[in-house]
Amino acid sequence: MTYALPVLVFVMVALATAQALRRAAWWRQGAAAEVAWGPGLLALPRRYLVDVHHVVARDAYASRMHAVVAGGLIVATVLAGLAILPSLGGSRLYWAIVALAFGVTAAGSLLVGARRYPAKPRRLSGGRFQILPFLLLAYALGGLAGALLLALGAASTPALIAALALSGVGGLGLAYEVRRGPMRHAVAGALHLVAHPRPGRFRSRLDTALAPLDLDAARLGAETPADFTWNRLLSYDSCIQCGRCETACPAFAAGQPLNPKRLIQDLVAGMTADEPPYAGSPYPNAREVDPPAAPLARLIGPDARIHPDTLWACTTCRACVEECPMMIEHVDAIVSLRRNETMEFARPPEKAADILSDLRGAGEPGGRALSARTDFAAGLDLPVISARGEADVLLWLGEGAYDLRYGRTLRALVRLMRDAGVDFAVLGAEERDTGDLARRLGDEATYQQLARANVETLGRYRFGRIVTADPHALHALRNEYRVFGGEWTVVHHTALLLELIEAGRLKPGVLGGLSVTYHDPCYLGRYNGETEAPRKVLDLIGASRVEMARSGRRSMCCGGGGGAPISDVAGDRRIPDIRMGQAIETGAAVVAVACPTCTAMLEGVTGVRPDVKDIAELLLASMELGA
Amino acid sequence: MTRVRRDPRADRRAAQIASLDRPRFDLAGRAADGGPGRPRRNPRTEFAALRVTGAARPRFDRQHRGEGAVAQVVSAASTPNVIVVDAPAFLVAVVPDAPGGRLTQHDRQLFGAARTLAGAHGAVAALVAGEIEGLGAIGADRVAALASTQNYAPDVTAAALASAFAALSPRHLLFPETPDGGDLARRLALLTGEPLFPDVEQLSATSVSRAARGKRVAQRAAPARLMTLGADVVAPYSGPAREGRSEPLPTAEVSAPAITDARRIPADPATTPLTVADFVVSAGNGVTDIEAFRRLAEALGATPGASRVLCDAGLMPRASQVGASGSVLTATCYLALGVAGAPQHLQGVAGCEHVVAVNTDLHAAMIERAGLAIVQDAQLVMPALIAALESERAS
Amino acid sequence: MKIVVLLSAGAHPVSSAPVLPRLEAQALRLALALGETTGLHAGPSAAPAADALGHGLGLLTHLATREGDDPIPALVAALKAETPDLVLAGRRGQGGEETGLAPYAVAAALGVTIVADAVALAPGAAPGSLVVEQALPKGARRRLVVRLPALVTVHPGAPAPGAYAYGVARRGRVDTIWGVAGSAAEPNPIAVEERPYRPRPKLMRSAPGTGSAAERLAAATGGMASSGANVLVQPTPDEAARAILEHLRRIGVLAPAVANKPAA
Ligand SMILES: Cc1cc2nc3c(=O)[nH]c(=O)nc-3n(C[C@H](O)[C@H](O)[C@H](O)COP(=O)(O)OP(=O)(O)OC[C@H]3O[C@@H](n4cnc5c(N)ncnc54)[C@H](O)[C@@H]3O)c2cc1C
Ligand code: SF4
Ligand code: SF4
Repeated sequence: MTYALPVLVFVMVALATAQALRRAAWWRQGAAAEVAWGPGLLALPRRYLVDVHHVVARDAYASRMHAVVAGGLIVATVLAGLAILPSLGGSRLYWAIVALAFGVTAAGSLLVGARRYPAKPRRLSGGRFQILPFLLLAYALGGLAGALLLALGAASTPALIAALALSGVGGLGLAYEVRRGPMRHAVAGALHLVAHPRPGRFRSRLDTALAPLDLDAARLGAETPADFTWNRLLSYDSCIQCGRCETACPAFAAGQPLNPKRLIQDLVAGMTADEPPYAGSPYPNAREVDPPAAPLARLIGPDARIHPDTLWACTTCRACVEECPMMIEHVDAIVSLRRNETMEFARPPEKAADILSDLRGAGEPGGRALSARTDFAAGLDLPVISARGEADVLLWLGEGAYDLRYGRTLRALVRLMRDAGVDFAVLGAEERDTGDLARRLGDEATYQQLARANVETLGRYRFGRIVTADPHALHALRNEYRVFGGEWTVVHHTALLLELIEAGRLKPGVLGGLSVTYHDPCYLGRYNGETEAPRKVLDLIGASRVEMARSGRRSMCCGGGGGAPISDVAGDRRIPDIRMGQAIETGAAVVAVACPTCTAMLEGVTGVRPDVKDIAELLLASMELGA
Repeated sequence: MTRVRRDPRADRRAAQIASLDRPRFDLAGRAADGGPGRPRRNPRTEFAALRVTGAARPRFDRQHRGEGAVAQVVSAASTPNVIVVDAPAFLVAVVPDAPGGRLTQHDRQLFGAARTLAGAHGAVAALVAGEIEGLGAIGADRVAALASTQNYAPDVTAAALASAFAALSPRHLLFPETPDGGDLARRLALLTGEPLFPDVEQLSATSVSRAARGKRVAQRAAPARLMTLGADVVAPYSGPAREGRSEPLPTAEVSAPAITDARRIPADPATTPLTVADFVVSAGNGVTDIEAFRRLAEALGATPGASRVLCDAGLMPRASQVGASGSVLTATCYLALGVAGAPQHLQGVAGCEHVVAVNTDLHAAMIERAGLAIVQDAQLVMPALIAALESERAS
Repeated sequence: MKIVVLLSAGAHPVSSAPVLPRLEAQALRLALALGETTGLHAGPSAAPAADALGHGLGLLTHLATREGDDPIPALVAALKAETPDLVLAGRRGQGGEETGLAPYAVAAALGVTIVADAVALAPGAAPGSLVVEQALPKGARRRLVVRLPALVTVHPGAPAPGAYAYGVARRGRVDTIWGVAGSAAEPNPIAVEERPYRPRPKLMRSAPGTGSAAERLAAATGGMASSGANVLVQPTPDEAARAILEHLRRIGVLAPAVANKPAA
């Protein structure tokens, strides 16, 4: 009977492998992808232990639970399997060790169960996930009892048979679940870490730029699950339905019909016809759709699996990606689906049609004259680079320049740069929109047209670096223009201001006692990892800084990105109102911002609320006070 | 300012004798003017014509000096204040829209333009289908009746106009640049082969100009024979009444109209899209009594709008949102009740000619933008407005 | 129903870049909803008009003509050969002379009915007829039944154009053939002098009957209550209501009180 447990393990592994292979056949429906297998495999332990752990550890309970249950499960199973070797299988000491491992697994299973019973948190899915602790417990307790009996030398007693039977039910159940149940995440997750579509993420580099789309491809964007590359399909299968993305999603919080977890599950369910029903939180306030039962059908549409409202509610804030322990790339999926809707079906959000057409025709989303971009600086006598050919700093103004309110920020920035003696110039009427908006709305063709034109324009001038106050422009210029041949040093204005202060070229005054909370723009904090410079500037002007519940790379979106204000999908509340609520909770008198979009969104909140001031405005105010 | 400036060039042109290979002028004769020699002025009649009626003390309107009063003006014995032009040198004809027989403001402006072009020697002729009252008062010296069509039949009307054009041979024929006027003008241009100078934006006796190429250039020319006049570019005629003598027209042949049925659907302010509505009354966060607001919009015959706050709150439909992320208006008048005037909101109102604001906050941006600002609670003003409109209607 | 949409090479209103005029994209939308549609463009290059493919047009026939040629003869010749039931065009060009005469010239040459300013189209009850909804000022409409063939121009109040889609454009096709050589475009028969455009202030509208000298005098000297910016602080509601109604009448958006009564 010493072989019974190892045999069970081998049957489990065989079953799990068979189930995984059945599933893999579906992944292979996806488009081809280039995967660096060797480096991926070598990096797997590090990716798992460092990168995944970094995310998992944000939830201390889950982290402990997972370490115990997964560690116990793997160790116990491997050890039990090794007992096939007569030298080990015959050792009672060995069985004691195996029993210990199963004991740990059992403890972990109890932790899993304790999270779900008597009541599970809302973000966790029910359904098959509710059975998981029982399967785990059965396998672990059975294994524990069996190994103990073997350790005590009590082979082939009815008790041992009963223990093995219990373990077999649990173990085979877990193995069976590899195709469609919770345990899929283990197999798919491991493979996904090897074949991740953005390996750059693990090299402590920020790999957040959208990949350019081949405009000559037979089909633009993803219409059905089969249009995603196979390793993306694999990545969606690795979702453990932990709901961390759902908790982080601003659209979900606002009651808009988007839930990133559900979205990923819809992509998964669209692959096969027999996926078990989804048992997590729905898309809030979603309109009824009538999903087709056929696999690989069209994903988006009022009559498809995902209503277009869901697709267009996303602000592309990447909060979901940041929180996902399985390193799933939700935003890439959303943009891919949007590209298909916009470019193949001409169905961008209703209000986007004119905006996109103005971007194509006039290089500007509002159809305003490019020469009017510098109107905000009337009287400031902005130097235009075409008149000089070169400058140390090229100031990229961005779309905010057309906005009355944001013009104040830019004027403050211009004054500060003048005070510090920075040699700068603007492109003036040669500056087009970066195309960020078009791209996030799925209009890659217009984006590429604008990107090429901007790269061409910038290529004509000599400058040391580009400074911009617009994180969206910064992200485009710094990260997304590279493939079009634009490689520059791109600096956010808050970083420049900090640098100028530290070099002694700006002498900040002291805004003593002014309590300020800083709102991180998604495209600066999460997309570009810059969270410190603005905070340091605030500290240097003597503001008493308080943090909101969500800040830094885990900050919450203002609701302004990804074209969401244009899609304007209805919800229960507005995202900026929620964010402003978090600012109000801190009791701060001022919300410091560093982005034209955040400024506009937060300024749009009505009622009694803190003032909204850009870092540049606050710095200038401190200097005026100090002077 | 009382004296009419003479345009020597126009005079010369008027005196030119037609159909000679070399230009020749009949400077003494002026057969067309009806009398030999220079036109005589009668300062007394002229002055009388300038007198403002109804004023207690004699007052004279020199600004609108009734240009026609210079020559050949004989006050009709029976109606002393009507200007009569007996034998005009030429005609300037206008084709007012007059929907439903009522003259629009644009139509009145058409007469103002025609008067400018007619100058001292010409007469203004109105070409109208059906009975329209008060054409003399707004500046018609002549009224020619076109055969009226039962239904909307622009092809038939254009044919009738073409025959009137041939019969009267006016120096200019003016249309308002409206859907109907603009359509007739273009039909006539094709029927007569006469070039059209459309959408005049600026007009004087000697030149007209219009915008072209996406408002990048202004084209200037001498007044053409066929022109359409933009809205609100020329003041209506406001001199003393004119005779409005009826001018006979030969009957035109009527062909079968190509349009077999036409029905006018009046604008319903409640459903007119905000972007084209002429009068919008809008509610902001300061309006709590939405029911009263709806009744007010109806009583005023205005299209209801709202600020985003109310749309977000679901109190008003999303389609009624005014502003950057809502509708951008082209209304003549915007009546804003309890709207703060956030920049995103004001973007939607930028094109409105008149803004009236009711707000409790004297320093609200909307108050600043308004031509008439009422610092008062909207909840008090709305019922007062409804009551005032109702009592007017009742009386 | 066989429909041809006339497409032109427009200029973007702000940037002057060559684009498909918005009105023509609207015309295309109406046409595509109504029946089998092709596009027709006469000019030296098909490029700007080819944007129509991205709005869902399947086939654009490009009548190649030389720079400066009058496009009308080429269009007329092609339409005579094609004999569509319905021809759609924008009510004005965008970026050129913008006189709005071209559709009339085409209709006259074809000898078909022209109807202006459509905002909606539907097939008529009788075969060979079309229901056209025309835009009138201030949101009013007129519903017509027109015998086909006809040429209909489209008003900006028609449904907004569908979005341009790159992928959709890839599926469309442009056929280029030589257009009937017209005479070089007749130089504008009215001699015009051009200068840069300067917007001029519009006249303030005033309600009918306020044009009398006495009232103008009063207004000019500020004698009337509400001329120019006017702020009433804490008036009684009745005062406020009176001031507002008076103002609304003065600017002409509210009918005079007497006119509210049905005409006696
Ligand atoms: C990206 C973006 C786009 C936006 N787009 C739009 C848009 O398209 N349209 C839009 O409207 N907004 C838009 N906003 C929102 C805008 O910034 C303002 O929040 C909004 O317009 C304020 O609406 P309000 O004036 O009705 O409300 P409030 O700001 O609350 O102002 C209410 C006003 O009513 C007055 N008031 C209060 N009580 C009374 C009373 N009893 N009687 C009379 N007056 C009273 C107050 O003095 C105040 O001035 C946008 C915001 C953002 C960020
Ligand atoms: S990117 Fe932001 S808005 Fe979009 S699904 Fe993720 S969390 Fe939600
Ligand atoms: S997508 Fe990621 S964060 Fe969201 S439920 Fe799945 S595993 Fe969790």
